[in-house]
Amino acid sequence: MKSNASVVIIGGGIIGTSIAFNLAKLGVKDVVVFEKSYISSGSTGRCGGGIRQQWTSPMNVRLAMRSVELFKRFKEDVGMDIEYYQGGYLLLAYDEKEMADFENNVKIQKNEGLDVELVTPKEIHEKFPFMDLEGVVGGTWCPSDGHANPQIANIAYALKIKEMGVDLNTHTEVKGIDVQNGKIVGVETDKGYVKTNVVVNAAGGFSHEVGKMAGVDIPTYSERHQILVTEAINHVLDPMVISFKKNYYVRQTMHGSFIMGQSDKEPARGNDLGHTVEFLEEMAPKMVHDFPFMNHLHIVRQWSGAYNVSPDAQPIIDEADNISRFIFAVGFSGHGFMLAPAVGEAVAEMVVYGKSKTMDISNLKMERFKGKKISKERNVV
Amino acid sequence: MNLYQAVIIGGGPAGMMGAITLGNHGVKTIILDENESIGGQLVKQTHKFFGDHAHYASTRGFEIAQKLDEEISKNKNIEVENNATVIGIYPNNTVVYTKDGQEHKIQAKKILIATGAMEKQLPFINSDLPGVYGAGAVQTLMNEYGIMPGKRFLIIGSGNIGLILAYQLIQAGVEVRAIVEALGKVGGYDVHANKVKRLGVPILLNHTIVKAIGDESVQGAIIAKIDDKFQTIPGTEREMVVDTIAISVGLTPLTELAEQAGCKVEFIPELGGYVPIRDERMRTTNPDVFIAGDLSSIEEATTAMIEGKIAALEMARDINGSDTKEEIEEELRTLALFRSGPKSVKIRSGLEKMGIKISIPTKPIINEKKEDVIGKLRAVLECDEEIPCNSCEASCPFGAIHIGENLNSTPVLDAEKCTGCGTCVNACPGLAIFMMKENEEESTVTLGIPYELLPLPEKGQKMWGLSKEGNYVCDVTVERVVKYPNKTNIVYAKFPIEFKDTVRHFAFPKKESPIVCRCEEVSLEQIEKVIDSGVTDFEEIKRLTRVTMGPCGGKNCKLVVLGILSRKTGVPISKLSHGTSRPPVKPVEFSVFKKGGDDK
Repeated sequence: MKSNASVVIIGGGIIGTSIAFNLAKLGVKDVVVFEKSYISSGSTGRCGGGIRQQWTSPMNVRLAMRSVELFKRFKEDVGMDIEYYQGGYLLLAYDEKEMADFENNVKIQKNEGLDVELVTPKEIHEKFPFMDLEGVVGGTWCPSDGHANPQIANIAYALKIKEMGVDLNTHTEVKGIDVQNGKIVGVETDKGYVKTNVVVNAAGGFSHEVGKMAGVDIPTYSERHQILVTEAINHVLDPMVISFKKNYYVRQTMHGSFIMGQSDKEPARGNDLGHTVEFLEEMAPKMVHDFPFMNHLHIVRQWSGAYNVSPDAQPIIDEADNISRFIFAVGFSGHGFMLAPAVGEAVAEMVVYGKSKTMDISNLKMERFKGKKISKERNVV
Repeated sequence: MNLYQAVIIGGGPAGMMGAITLGNHGVKTIILDENESIGGQLVKQTHKFFGDHAHYASTRGFEIAQKLDEEISKNKNIEVENNATVIGIYPNNTVVYTKDGQEHKIQAKKILIATGAMEKQLPFINSDLPGVYGAGAVQTLMNEYGIMPGKRFLIIGSGNIGLILAYQLIQAGVEVRAIVEALGKVGGYDVHANKVKRLGVPILLNHTIVKAIGDESVQGAIIAKIDDKFQTIPGTEREMVVDTIAISVGLTPLTELAEQAGCKVEFIPELGGYVPIRDERMRTTNPDVFIAGDLSSIEEATTAMIEGKIAALEMARDINGSDTKEEIEEELRTLALFRSGPKSVKIRSGLEKMGIKISIPTKPIINEKKEDVIGKLRAVLECDEEIPCNSCEASCPFGAIHIGENLNSTPVLDAEKCTGCGTCVNACPGLAIFMMKENEEESTVTLGIPYELLPLPEKGQKMWGLSKEGNYVCDVTVERVVKYPNKTNIVYAKFPIEFKDTVRHFAFPKKESPIVCRCEEVSLEQIEKVIDSGVTDFEEIKRLTRVTMGPCGGKNCKLVVLGILSRKTGVPISKLSHGTSRPPVKPVEFSVFKKGGDDK
């Protein structure tokens, strides 16, 4: 562990390691990353792995589209196959109101240049004849959406940044941020103290707590989302399928297993990552209904992870205005993995140049919540 | 015509023992045997026999044959006619045989027929292809003539013959792809099954062969799962690349000569099929004709020898009035003891159909337990099956192994008395005894295993420690190789203490990397590569390779992976993080949850 750092990143998840990767690419030396457990131990390693551009907020669409560009190059850039597969995303609508929303969303998305289309039940059936589409009135389809293995992606970044000279410390927990006269001077960990003037909060489920260490009240909280994986079978399902109405998402990994989840009615708050049998009982009937072949498919494992939720379900990427050089990339509300390559690039630019250059992400600042009506991202499971 | 007091047809264990007994009682006897030399099936048996120490237990089959042969050649009353094929038994106890292209006739007061049995056949598609053998034929070719009929074997049937054949084939250096067994459990002794399982041979239960594949000769086989009515389950067929298929689905007695001699036969499946009716002392319905061995019931060589002896004692009484009453009773008691265990249920019920009741000896089967002494070099007895055998007890010079008077009892070790000499490991016919010493201070264990393969490893050599199922567990370092004249050598090797109950065989490392995680098919090499790339956290290794993430949830391989990580990093397993257990513990179908839970 280094005693002096140009930048300290708190959190070795996909966001933290992506930022470190981009900093190293920009030539920043002495970057130090602290991860309190192992790589992919937090939300990254627990997430569903979808990579989607079909969002309702233009900012989310743009970030996601930039990420897709970077995911396409991930193997060359970062050096590992992360099972990235552009099998598309199919969003299902069950009533006219939902369909009307979808039509509106597609307009916004097309406006950003996304190749996305409205599809009829007949078209869906032709694409995916094994699905039971009872009650479906239509949907949207984006063929360039896809998925990847988040755990491998996280470890790929970790191995790459180590190779690039980043000091990555796993099993090292940050205990405090040393702020003197409104200026960061160092970070205290359970393994020692490191001097630094720049800290990036990429702590995922613990973003609020890390914010407090520097005296910044970040309006995020964590809630539990449950997920399960099945045994592997031959490849049948190309896209990630989402139903907001029925409250599920499902995809088949390149390994052959199916990963799926929902939002619990009242998600447990905090980082208590237990799991319930009710989750299995709620998932089973809807999955077997929509995908009848799953009836005899075996569930192999269930687990849960934390969504780090912001008031409008969009990330908060900002620099504190009352403390010198405390940057945060938090509140991803369940879609941090898919945005990570673009966010890493933008945040690294913020650190180096004071603001992001590749993309304008200024409307992800925290000030958007001050006294204004919050316009919430609605496409969240 | 030559007149003999006794003629014995068949020079296997029953016939040989009968001849010796008759000769010892002054009866002029001739053995007619169709082979080059006598010994019957014993000559191809390279494994040690179970049984009572007084009856050649822990002696290899061919050595038993040699010993009996020596006794026979020393006995002036016994004449042996080799290459003599009996073609019929005619009136007035006339036995006709051919030898050297010539007919020969002899007459006998009493005849002992000990013709044994032949292998049952199994009908399947292309079973007439060259490359399909009876298991006994393979043993004959291999062990008598030194000819190996193939390189990759599939064995049909998991009785003792199939299991022993598999072991012998591996000793001879060829591959046994699998043993398929139609029933839901192994047919032979567990110890024989364990011997081949730890060498990596899978025993596929509820499976059968559907067909042999090949044009000129066997090039493969299709096997499939079967249901409880022995019907093939469609969709479970799979192909195996093998060049030889050995059938060992049981034996059936060779009753022809007995029938010609006027002996009544009956169909008693428990005894192997059609068998001659006989009394307790082996006399058939023809008072001059006796039988013994597999012809009377398909059993072990040990019981065959006792039967041969009983028949001969009764014949001697008839012929020259020898007083053999007490001897017969003693032998009957021994035979009853051999047949009193759980492995002889079938024989007992078969004999009962014939009106012969085996009185189960009153001597109880004892299964006591004694305190183990951790950290001391001592024997570990993994013999849990009630087999009639006491070779370990008899071999121990220090009285540390106790079986008691009923030799069906499983052995118990008195670890206090055990000196760690290893004699019992060497003696056990089931190779079911190991030596063990925990080296607590260095968290290792030293394990000594019976080793009957060549070449022998050398001190200091690295080998793979394999599990009871023959799967890779960890690397081991050979500490000591103790050679014994009977070729059951003991190899001692050291490895991490966590695996002391897991590792039961040592194998030379192979070029191909062993599969560590069978669910996800992850090899040792893949895991080592990931660790070498700098990933030393079990959780990260798991995510990169998928080890422990399959349907078994890591029950099978987690400790093995931790062992590899521990070896590579020097961090003891106890200090490594080992992941989190998550439901369901066993894979569950979605259908189970479709209706929601039933609150109980």
